[in-house]
Amino acid sequence: MEKIKILKRLYFLLVFLCILVGFLAKHDHAVFFWHKIPSIDAIFGALGAILLLVAKKIVHFFTFREENFYD
Amino acid sequence: MINTVPPALIFILGAMFIPFLKGKLKKLYLILIPLVAFIDLIYLEQGTSWVFKFLGYDLIFAEVDRLSLVVGYIFVIIGFLAILYSLHIEEDGQHVAACLYTGSSLGVVFAGDYFSLFAFWEIMAVASVFLIWYQKDNESLNAGFRYILMHLFGGCCLLAGIIIYSASKGSILVDRVEPGPFYWFMLIGFGLNAAFIPLHTWLPDSYPNGTFTGSVFLSVYTTKTAIYVLARCFPATEFVAYMGGIMAVYGVVFALMQNNTRKLLSYHIVSQVGYMVAGVGIGTTLGVNGGIAHLFNHILYKALLFMTMGSVIYMTGKTKLTELGGLAKLMPITCITCIIASLSISGAPGFNGFVSKGLIISSAAEAHKPVLELMLVLASVGTFLSFVKLCYFCFFTKNEQIEAKEAPINMQLAMGLTAFLCIFIGLYPRVLFDLLPYQDIHYHPFTFSHITGVIQLFLLAGVVFMLAKAAFSPHNDIVLDFDYFYRMGGRGLSWACNKPLNNFRSRIQVRISMGIFILVRLCKNPISTLDIFIAHAYQRATKSLRFRYVSGYSSSEVYDESLHKRPIGVGVLVAVILLSVFALVHFIF
Repeated sequence: MEKIKILKRLYFLLVFLCILVGFLAKHDHAVFFWHKIPSIDAIFGALGAILLLVAKKIVHFFTFREENFYD
Repeated sequence: MINTVPPALIFILGAMFIPFLKGKLKKLYLILIPLVAFIDLIYLEQGTSWVFKFLGYDLIFAEVDRLSLVVGYIFVIIGFLAILYSLHIEEDGQHVAACLYTGSSLGVVFAGDYFSLFAFWEIMAVASVFLIWYQKDNESLNAGFRYILMHLFGGCCLLAGIIIYSASKGSILVDRVEPGPFYWFMLIGFGLNAAFIPLHTWLPDSYPNGTFTGSVFLSVYTTKTAIYVLARCFPATEFVAYMGGIMAVYGVVFALMQNNTRKLLSYHIVSQVGYMVAGVGIGTTLGVNGGIAHLFNHILYKALLFMTMGSVIYMTGKTKLTELGGLAKLMPITCITCIIASLSISGAPGFNGFVSKGLIISSAAEAHKPVLELMLVLASVGTFLSFVKLCYFCFFTKNEQIEAKEAPINMQLAMGLTAFLCIFIGLYPRVLFDLLPYQDIHYHPFTFSHITGVIQLFLLAGVVFMLAKAAFSPHNDIVLDFDYFYRMGGRGLSWACNKPLNNFRSRIQVRISMGIFILVRLCKNPISTLDIFIAHAYQRATKSLRFRYVSGYSSSEVYDESLHKRPIGVGVLVAVILLSVFALVHFIF
């Protein structure tokens, strides 16, 4: 359990560092305004995952059935 | 100088001799088929050859250019790896079906005219269904029938489109399809194989039900030949581009809900093919190159994923994530190669998906399609989440009841080689770029912003996964897709045929039987017409008529001729009257 806790902390540290590094990176061919926002991909990653989770929950609610539904 | 043949011929002819060989000789022969095809491909010269005249049209079996060559190369390479993976299978039928399927896919790729393309297209559908049926259970039998029905529908649309095209254009050469009455027929025909939404349902329905080796072949050829023909016939099409975006997102949302490992992978085919469709639909040199590069890479990592999950099924007999877990220690090679394939499909830096996904997303931005770009980025996040889920619940969750050992050596070798190619192309993308159809590309995948961007995307998605792990955990249920409407429609059609239409047929049959019955009586004794009408009226009144007419003569009612006999003179009189009428008519007219 201790090991997992340490790994989790390291992971969050990596996330923090990566966001910081993102401020140094400049989009090579910025076309849209969001390409110019520093570390925008971190926001896309988090928002995208939440959005997909919500979409999954909604679709699942309306479409899930018993495994033998078609039998 | 080596005389080359269409690569399709090597696989199709090669398949014919498989049943005559046994043991190690058969294994050697199976390995030799793709090797010979690969050597043939290397020597295949660009241009048109193997042309035959048919009904005034030119049938072209070897139309070779950069686009067909790159697709041909990867088809043969993966053919070799998939055959290596399935080398221990004893059933000749599976090998024959796999070789016919590979050969016909190559036939589509090198076909220079729509007639031969269509012929190979249909051989592909028929050969591939056997890779599902060889699973030999009820579920795969039904899934196979649904698969072939969908493909026959698509084939009919394509044929209709080709006939109208050839009639209106006077040509059957495979070329860009401009708008016309044939346009939508052909697009539906190709789109069904490319798993356009909502025509995609055959894919997640049938691929999880194939044999564990057959699904490796299935994951490669059908959808990729469709992408190839879309790149030839429908590049730079707005509808196709946005359909790609929809497929990419739709596929990941449904993949996230799956419990069956191969169903999850199948929905990811829909999603990843969506990227290719988007690239082809964008249609710029960057877009088409991206679509074809992704086709090349996708074939490698998707085949690898099906190989790893096939190994899991083969060694454990389990297909559901809820029943799996703890396999990392028991099947380490499978686990490592699955992680490599997962990183490749997610597009992690250093793996092949990173290169081609970046090409397509950049082409969407370059073509000023912001919505499409965001859809593809969203699908990237979903892909990463799906494969974190797959690897976590398959290999790393605790499951002390599971027993397994590593897969046979040929399967491990095939997985290892495929994983090596995923990493090799990820690190040296120039090898792939040199094969792409357009050479004037200025794209550098390993820029600082691209690498940090992708890592940020995955790390933050990973944070959400860690925080909401329970929400991603698999459940023992199924999720309805558009196939619900097709299945219910099918059941409705079956009911309509069985009930109202069958009743209608039965009523008509009764009426016709009644008419014939009366006619027979009249022919036997015309004089008794009046008797028949009286009997008819009487029987209607006693409601026994229906039964008798349906079943013919009942045993109780035997026709007695003497009851209706009249004097012979009456017969002569009737004959004389009829002859007089006939003579009168003859003289007047």
